[in-house]
Amino acid sequence: MGKATDYSSKKQEWEQEAETTAKRFPERKEHFQTSSDIPIERLHLPEHATDDYLTKLGFPGQYPYTRGIQPTMYRSRYWTMRQYAGFGSAKETNQRFRYLLEQGQTGLSVAFDLPTQIGYDSDDLMAEGEVGKVGVAIDSLKDMELLFDNIPLDKVSTSMTINAPASVLLCMYIAVGEKQGISADKLTGTIQNDILKEYIARGTYIYPPKPSMRLITNIFEYCQRQLPRFNTISISGYHIREAGSTAVQEIAFTLANGIAYVEAALASGLDIDTFAPRLAFFFNAHNQFFEEVAKFRAARRIWARTMKERYKAKNPKSWKLRFHTQTGGSTLTAQQADNNIVRVTLQALSAIMGGTQSLHTNSKDEALSLPTEESARIALRTQQILANESGAADTVDPLGGSYYVEYLTDEIETRAMEYIEKIDQLGGAVQAVEDGYMQREIHHAAYETQKKIEADEEIIVGLNQFVQEEEAQPELMKVDEQLEADQIRSLHEVRNGRDQELVNQCLANLKKAAADEKVNLMPYILEAVRAYTTVGEICNVLREQFGEYTGI
Amino acid sequence: MRQIRVLIGKAGLDGHDRGALVIAQALRDHGMEVIYTGLRQSPQQIAQAAIQEDVDVVGLSSLSGAHRSLFPKVVEALKERKADDIPVIGGGVIPADDIPFLLERGVKKIFTSGTSTDSLAEYIKQLVGNGEAVAEPPSKIAHIGIAVHDIEQAIPFYHDLLGLPLEKVEEVPSEQVKVAFLKIGESRIELLEPMNEQSSIHRFLDKKGEGIHHIAFEVDNLEKRLAHLKKQGIDVLNETPVVGAGGSQIAFLHPKAANRVLIELSQHSDRRDD
Repeated sequence: MGKATDYSSKKQEWEQEAETTAKRFPERKEHFQTSSDIPIERLHLPEHATDDYLTKLGFPGQYPYTRGIQPTMYRSRYWTMRQYAGFGSAKETNQRFRYLLEQGQTGLSVAFDLPTQIGYDSDDLMAEGEVGKVGVAIDSLKDMELLFDNIPLDKVSTSMTINAPASVLLCMYIAVGEKQGISADKLTGTIQNDILKEYIARGTYIYPPKPSMRLITNIFEYCQRQLPRFNTISISGYHIREAGSTAVQEIAFTLANGIAYVEAALASGLDIDTFAPRLAFFFNAHNQFFEEVAKFRAARRIWARTMKERYKAKNPKSWKLRFHTQTGGSTLTAQQADNNIVRVTLQALSAIMGGTQSLHTNSKDEALSLPTEESARIALRTQQILANESGAADTVDPLGGSYYVEYLTDEIETRAMEYIEKIDQLGGAVQAVEDGYMQREIHHAAYETQKKIEADEEIIVGLNQFVQEEEAQPELMKVDEQLEADQIRSLHEVRNGRDQELVNQCLANLKKAAADEKVNLMPYILEAVRAYTTVGEICNVLREQFGEYTGI
Repeated sequence: MRQIRVLIGKAGLDGHDRGALVIAQALRDHGMEVIYTGLRQSPQQIAQAAIQEDVDVVGLSSLSGAHRSLFPKVVEALKERKADDIPVIGGGVIPADDIPFLLERGVKKIFTSGTSTDSLAEYIKQLVGNGEAVAEPPSKIAHIGIAVHDIEQAIPFYHDLLGLPLEKVEEVPSEQVKVAFLKIGESRIELLEPMNEQSSIHRFLDKKGEGIHHIAFEVDNLEKRLAHLKKQGIDVLNETPVVGAGGSQIAFLHPKAANRVLIELSQHSDRRDD
């Protein structure tokens, strides 16, 4: 029978791949079993396969990747535990990084302060009051050197939440590597570099969409040659969800943005299979457990189909949607903050059931301020408990085949595809963003949620139900107010100590290069960075050339 | 009455505008005219826009931790432009510790996370519609009430030993108590003795013995304030003000509204000569 044959040959294929993978990344145990000695298989399958099973689910590591992108998933290696951190000065953040690495964290994730993210130096008038507040302040290569002091860049993978000035910070990272004697091709990590969602939901844009898209494709092109192991973009639904979207909107708008980046790269002359394998994604893990699991699975399936069928990508690596997940910050309550640990645990579990490649768990106090060291530790421990104690990582895609989860996966796929088609009709994501289409859809959903909470139709424990009247205030993390002045002083020292003529020359070269759309700006930015030109100086030259986006 | 006009401002570089947008929409649904500045406005731009748009109130939102620097700057910028009659309120991710700092610098009120949009709209209507009166906080502790079995026996400690001047002893029929007032600074100690077994002081003494019974806050606009509190879901023990000692207007709030402290709101009568 055709159906049965298909199934077993595909299964064999997977088994072989799984064995190969298990040789490279041995499974954590020889035999996995439950507390009652019930054996846990690598993958559990339906007794009778149907065509439907193969087209919709398939095997992990195989198209359309609904059940995961690797054949053995967490049986070999847990997801990367990657806690986003950064505050104050580079030196302080360096200490937090080293602390997290000592605590067993396996990747770094840098939070930059808002002036850095929007391309202002710490002494810019616009930066007043914001220096070092939501992340670390980086003005020049000097700060970046301090940030990674005693952290060998070939031993860690670093994710950087940086968008509009992504090329500048990436060049600084390359330059720090050079100083440590590590060549660019050995660097691993991710830059967020996703400008479209900045216009939609996050707000740290600088230039208008068109030149911004150029900077992004410049990075794609440069990295495929120079930093082949670096993820050149992390196309983010996280912030879209935080801004109030639904689960369906989160993946629909994110994948639509992904399509826009693919289109831009193709238009710049790149071949799909040279850049698509380095595209990464970033999603939110929200409260509704089963919907979230289904969302991750549906996103993988949609992206695989889009890349294979719509863009005719041939390399299977181009089909795989790899993603980082962060638990939903906006689900945390300022009231009874300890309850947030429980929320985070459930959200994190949904990301694991959904097959995430890396995970950030929020700290319980983040509705009130940046996390303290203690609360950051609990957040990391939460992941370690889920990994080591729950058994959730012992079989691939444990919820696959659940009638309910498969139903939700199908529904989310269908509804997200409707949005994606609608955005195609509007002329693609760049046009839809400029028209404010996604912004309006998200705002509408956010307002509906607020109304439901206020009408008690949606219950938030501790907020509109189970309220506690007298609450002790938790200890909060405070950023030193003196920091801004210190940072400005050290910036001035850098400016006084560098070869100003060289800086001027670099900026003049960059300006000239920016005027010609066909030139890749990365080498010019790298030159400028090496000469200790600051983030603000580089971005200001590009501002003059590209103009500034002012919202709609 | 003219439509209430509100400016919602995002000061600084913070890009989190979900809250600002939701609040703008909610206030519109409450019939207000809302102007939203968009992201990345300087305090000067916000003050300028507030004046140009002739708004009644400015609402600021910040989730980036820059509120301590930016909110007071908006207040100052309004003052420089002689527009400090426009009240500034704020919200976002604001730690409780920072609230007194902001209030001292002229921010009218900070709404913390979890505030309903209805109560925010209500606050703005009160603030704008009825002038400052209702929103003005109580001005001082009018007195602290202490329940005693016998005023004559209690007075010597406060009067003779501590030396607090005894102002008067009188009976308050509405509460079935005999009271003595002893002046202390700008406030008073009120000794309360039940006149009979129906008196609430009698029940208090029965249950808890002698001790602090209530704290009285000096307020104005008592009637409106009571109505406002009721609307906010606060249980009041007197639906309308009753006559208290010295002919003042008073009303009690249920202790569960105030961490189990019985609160009396008290408004001076005009006849009172102090």
